[in-house]
Amino acid sequence: MTAIDRSDPDRARPSAAEPGAAADLTTYLRLVARGDADAFDTVYDQVAATVFGIVRRVVRDPAQSEEVTQDVLLEVWRNAAKFDPGRGSATAWVMTLAHRRAVDRVRSVQKESERERRTAVADVPFDEVAEAVESSLERERVRRCLGSLTELQRESVTLAYYGGYTYSQVASLLGVPGGTIKTRMRDALIRLRDCLGVAS
Amino acid sequence: MRHTRDVHTLAGPYAMDAISPPDRARFDRHLARCEDCAREIASLREATARLAAAAAVSPPPALKARVMAAAAATRQRPPAPEPEPALRTRPLHTWPLRTWPLRTRPLPTRQGRPTPSRRLVMAAGAVAAAAAVAAAVVFGLSSGGMRDQLSQAQASSQQVAAVLTARDATMMTGAVRGGGTVTIVMSHSMRELVFTAAALHALPASRGYELWLIGPAGDRAVIMLPPARHGMTGPVVASGLRPGDHLALTAEPASGAVHPAGRPTTPMMLDVVL
Repeated sequence: MTAIDRSDPDRARPSAAEPGAAADLTTYLRLVARGDADAFDTVYDQVAATVFGIVRRVVRDPAQSEEVTQDVLLEVWRNAAKFDPGRGSATAWVMTLAHRRAVDRVRSVQKESERERRTAVADVPFDEVAEAVESSLERERVRRCLGSLTELQRESVTLAYYGGYTYSQVASLLGVPGGTIKTRMRDALIRLRDCLGVAS
Repeated sequence: MRHTRDVHTLAGPYAMDAISPPDRARFDRHLARCEDCAREIASLREATARLAAAAAVSPPPALKARVMAAAAATRQRPPAPEPEPALRTRPLHTWPLRTWPLRTRPLPTRQGRPTPSRRLVMAAGAVAAAAAVAAAVVFGLSSGGMRDQLSQAQASSQQVAAVLTARDATMMTGAVRGGGTVTIVMSHSMRELVFTAAALHALPASRGYELWLIGPAGDRAVIMLPPARHGMTGPVVASGLRPGDHLALTAEPASGAVHPAGRPTTPMMLDVVL
């Protein structure tokens, strides 16, 4: 583990835009686990845009998205001690929290707005977010890897991950048996993982 | 309960939270037993994290102040729910526990393959039958102590039966430090378990076995176990299980542990991760 000299006021605070930021997130989370508010400030800067981005993509309503983002970041603060680097990266841990919270929010209000959401998801292609902050290179890479999937795989992933639908909802939206969708989702994520060069 | 292979195909939906709460709970239990699956999920989540990164959007600047203020007023949770070091008066040995679901297969009907709905009903019946077999083993109904065991269990028999026949009933067995074996049938959905023990080391009259739930929600003394009859102890029911709980067994003064924090005062002779 990288030691951080707490007495040094000029200690490096990598931002999300800098390479190597992800490696430091683990270090900062350890500090957050000890109640270090400065470290939490840094963690916020590193993950807030990604958390807000995926939450907004799934939840859509801006005010609710802010609420959910706040919940997710508070959960990071409260549960930082429970993050286990042996079971995945810090980024994946935070994004898993974020996506799950977003999906939970959507499903709790799903009945009244289902029809409306269905239209909304169909209207917004995955690469159309105006205020994007992620480097265009990374976005392009994800877009290219999504493009390498079969159409059914890509639609399954897009509807499930960005749309917040369950696999059985995806199955009925696409008119494909649930068993097929389950398999396609797993195949698609394996292909994405390999295409993106994610360490497994 | 479906076959393990069926559970495994949920890996993709699970990694994307595209799954119903019951399926999620089922897969969580599967993950706890399947090291390879846990690794696969971890690697798939690295991929989904990249999908999230591609959607990044700056939040309104005011959000940061709100989050920081809320954090300042929020107590943090302690690390992983392990027993506190203070409890370990000497090295704690944990016996490996075998866990398996009460798995059943639908029986063929005379007409041929059962229809899905019939299959479900039959599977439920088979689970109940399997649970009854488990109960026979657990309660020692096949032994000479049948009547005694039954009368002992009478007060809570309905509660016991409800756990044993729960759709998600899971049975575990384990060895007790100092001698004896325990059998636990647990229902996650009911947050209850049935505990029985066989051949526990006999204690002097001044001491008795006490059952504990130990976890992030706090340590709770469940019950002083009744004296063994024909080598069998229990069944007793523990309710109100919380995520992260461990089940522990200690030998305490017969009046029960007296400790301000309500914690076990003697070394744990059993530590089951629930």
